[in-house]
This record gives sequence, structure tokens and C-alpha cells, in this order.
Amino acid sequence: MNDLYRKLVDLYAGGELPAELESEMEAAARQDPALAQDMKSMKRTVWEIQSMPQPEFTEESYQRILMKVYAKGVALQTQSPVPSHLQYQLPMQG
Amino acid sequence: MEALVLPMQNEALRDSLVERRWLAALAAGDEQALGGIYEIYGERIFRYTYRMLGNRSDAEDATAETFLRVLRRSSELRADGAFRTWLFRIARNLCIDKLRQHKLMELPADAQYSGGEDKTALRVTVQQALAELPIEYREPLELCDLQDMAAREAAEILCISVPALKSRLYRGRRALRDKLSGTLERTS
Repeated sequence: MNDLYRKLVDLYAGGELPAELESEMEAAARQDPALAQDMKSMKRTVWEIQSMPQPEFTEESYQRILMKVYAKGVALQTQSPVPSHLQYQLPMQG
Repeated sequence: MEALVLPMQNEALRDSLVERRWLAALAAGDEQALGGIYEIYGERIFRYTYRMLGNRSDAEDATAETFLRVLRRSSELRADGAFRTWLFRIARNLCIDKLRQHKLMELPADAQYSGGEDKTALRVTVQQALAELPIEYREPLELCDLQDMAAREAAEILCISVPALKSRLYRGRRALRDKLSGTLERTS
């Protein structure tokens, strides 16, 4: 396997190569099964990483973070109102 | 094509202007402006810290602490485009401290996975393999491949040169590929 191409495989997989060099590598891979396999498996790996689901930023997390900041005495103001189910409720009197 | 690109550029420009306004207010001592910064960056910082720490509760703590540190260090603020890098660096340092204290890396128990059973199993395997990578390889993958950051910005956050970042990215991707090779072959 061409050593230069081997070093460029991860850039190829990440879509970070100029189109011309990418085509050059693909042409080289047609003559070199080891390079072709390397490119294929690396592209799949990068794709799997990039398509990992993002952790969900829930309304509860959003509000809990705000509460932690408030608890340190910082009165920051956000545009989003606190949902009623997360507001502190006072007991009914008399 | 232009019709698709222009609204995105306008949106980015608007976000940038809003960010500058909040940063200017914060630098001038307006504590409430931190809320505006949180609206812009809260989600991204939470997702980053969640991935670094592996659980929601620690990610919430780290996100809150990140914004508190912004406030404490608001005299250092500059609205010159470097704010995001600086913010992520604060979050990163907090995560590193927490990891050192608790060795927290674990599979996110409450991560939301969708898709079929095979796909879900594969995602769990990828997450596990990522979590097992040495931190110096995992961080570039988190920033470049998961947060979609440019190499230069990721390098600034990690306080390393761009060539060093690319080298770690290269090694990280290869290490991850090697860990996943059997799984990927079975599912291809």
C-alpha cells in the first residue's frame, strides 16, 4: 500500500481531502485491495462516530442547570419561561 | 443553492450579533446577560460535557459550573469570536478535573438511542469503544467528529498545535476502527 495514501486514509474518511486527491485515492484503491479495505473500514468508522445520537438536552436538564446557577446567587434571566411542572409550589393556606 | 445558503448565513450572522451584545453586557457587569449566553451555548456545552463525563447529572453540574466561571471571569471576556473556544476550554478543564477525581467514564445509562435492535447494539458498542479510548485520542474525536468543530478551533481548546490535533485524530480514528473492526464487519 502506498504509504502516503495510507496516511491520508483518515482524512479521506472524514471528507477532509480536496476532491481531486479524493478521486486520486479512489482510483488507487481500485488497484490496491488493502488500501480499498482500509478506506472502506475507516469511512464506516467515521460515519458511525458522526451519526452517534446526541445526548438529549431535556427541559428538565435545562431547568436544573439554571437552578444550580441560581443556587450560587446568580440572578440570570432567560427568555424561556419556567414550565409550570418545574416551578416550586407553595402549599395552600387556610 | 443560494436560497439555501443565504438564510443559514443570515442566521449565523444574527447569532453572532446577539452573542456580541450579550458578551458586551456581561463584560460591563450585567450579570443577567449570562442568561442570554446560556440560551446560545447551554445545549452545546451540556452535550459536550455529557459525552465527556458519561452521565446526565455530572454533565448538568459541569454545565452550570462552566457558566458560573464565565461570570467570575467576565472581565477577561472579548467579543472577538474567540469566546466559544474559551467557553469550551473552561468546560473541558472542568470535565478533566471531574474525570481525574472520580474516574467517571461509563456508558451513558440514559442516552437515547433510536432505530432497530442491531442499530442500537451497534451504537452502544461504538459509545463503549469511544469511552475506552485514551483521553488524548477521545477528545479530538469528540470535538471534530461529534461537535463538528474545525481542526484549528479544536486545537485551541485542547491547547495543542493543529498538526498535533490532526495526529491525535488520526490515531484516535484508527484505534476506534481497530476496536470496532469485528462489529463493523458483522453489521456491514
